[in-house]
Amino acid sequence: MRSADELLAAYVDGVSELTTEERRCVEQLLAQDPALRTDEAKTRAVIEQLRSLPPEGTEPDWGAMERAIRIEVGPEVPRSWWRTSWRWLVPAMGLALAAAVFALWIQDRAPETQPLAELPVDAGAPSAPIAPETEELAILSLWLDGTAVEIELDADELFDDEDAELGQEDGLTPGLLPVDNLAWIDDLDLDDVDVADAWLGRKKG
Amino acid sequence: MAVASAHASILEPLVHVTAADPDLELAERFREGDRTAFDQLVRRHQRPIWRLVRRYVKRDADAADVTQLAFVRAFKALASFRGAASVRSWLYRIAINCALSWLRDHKREQSGQSEQFADDTASDAHPVHAQLIAGEDSAALRVAIAKLPPKQKLVLELRVFDDLSFKEVAELAECTENTAKVNFHYAVKKLRELLVGGSDAQR
Repeated sequence: MRSADELLAAYVDGVSELTTEERRCVEQLLAQDPALRTDEAKTRAVIEQLRSLPPEGTEPDWGAMERAIRIEVGPEVPRSWWRTSWRWLVPAMGLALAAAVFALWIQDRAPETQPLAELPVDAGAPSAPIAPETEELAILSLWLDGTAVEIELDADELFDDEDAELGQEDGLTPGLLPVDNLAWIDDLDLDDVDVADAWLGRKKG
Repeated sequence: MAVASAHASILEPLVHVTAADPDLELAERFREGDRTAFDQLVRRHQRPIWRLVRRYVKRDADAADVTQLAFVRAFKALASFRGAASVRSWLYRIAINCALSWLRDHKREQSGQSEQFADDTASDAHPVHAQLIAGEDSAALRVAIAKLPPKQKLVLELRVFDDLSFKEVAELAECTENTAKVNFHYAVKKLRELLVGGSDAQR
């Protein structure tokens, strides 16, 4: 808070607008300081003199001014957009935009069904294909980027002859493993190879 | 405290903006499409707005034009008035802006008038005192007010001539309420010095 004597004029002219603390300080100062009480009287006199000053100039014709303003602005009341008849359009557009963004976000988060041919395969994968547990599905364990992943696949689709030919053409086994370089086979342990052989035997048989 | 209570009794009650502010009700009615509410706002405020503008613009007719312009602008902007300040101080702000804009556009013309005013009122070494002696207290006081620093002058005029609360004064002067009170104090103090100084010099 400023020093109390700086609020003297405000105290004289508008004591009700001072805070309790401001008022208390000024009154305390007035009680202690006779010079300030003299100042207060002079301040009051000046303010009264100011308030009694007649306004400058000759007032215009208020009726004429009111009419002139009415003509100038016209009969229509300008309205903010939220009061117009098409105000629903703005929130509707906002909702539509939000829905579109949400749909894109959902789409982005959905698990991608990447073609098997594009899946990266670690040549040193410790696992080998496992025989299908049912007639319909084969569970394929792959070592992908350091993580063992199990993929359920339709065994017939995966290993039919057409796919095998296609795989040969583009340098890959049917959607799974590269055939150009078969060195990865050396990294398989014998158990894995046995499992694979057994499965292939059953498939051919 | 005896001193305080004695003074408090003669103080004028001040107008405060409350929830029941009729201006706010009129503004709301206007926003709901009631065109006549604006006419009532004009009727309520055209005189004080004109007086405010007249302190900036020295010709009556020009002050009327600027007042009219201020109301036209207020009409266009009232729909988006958010009620952050009182309607009155909002109108005053528009009027002050219009007056300042008018002064910028008519700078040369207005400075000629000001020089004439200065010649008329401050022609000797102790203008305030001279006019007090001549019984022209009002003119002397106006000369003294014109000598105040701009901020103090604005605060003093808004407070004394426009009867605004310190809160409204602060809004218009773009300062805190406390700063408005202090500026008001220094404005009055400076006026006292100017007026009393003139009297002393004459003795």
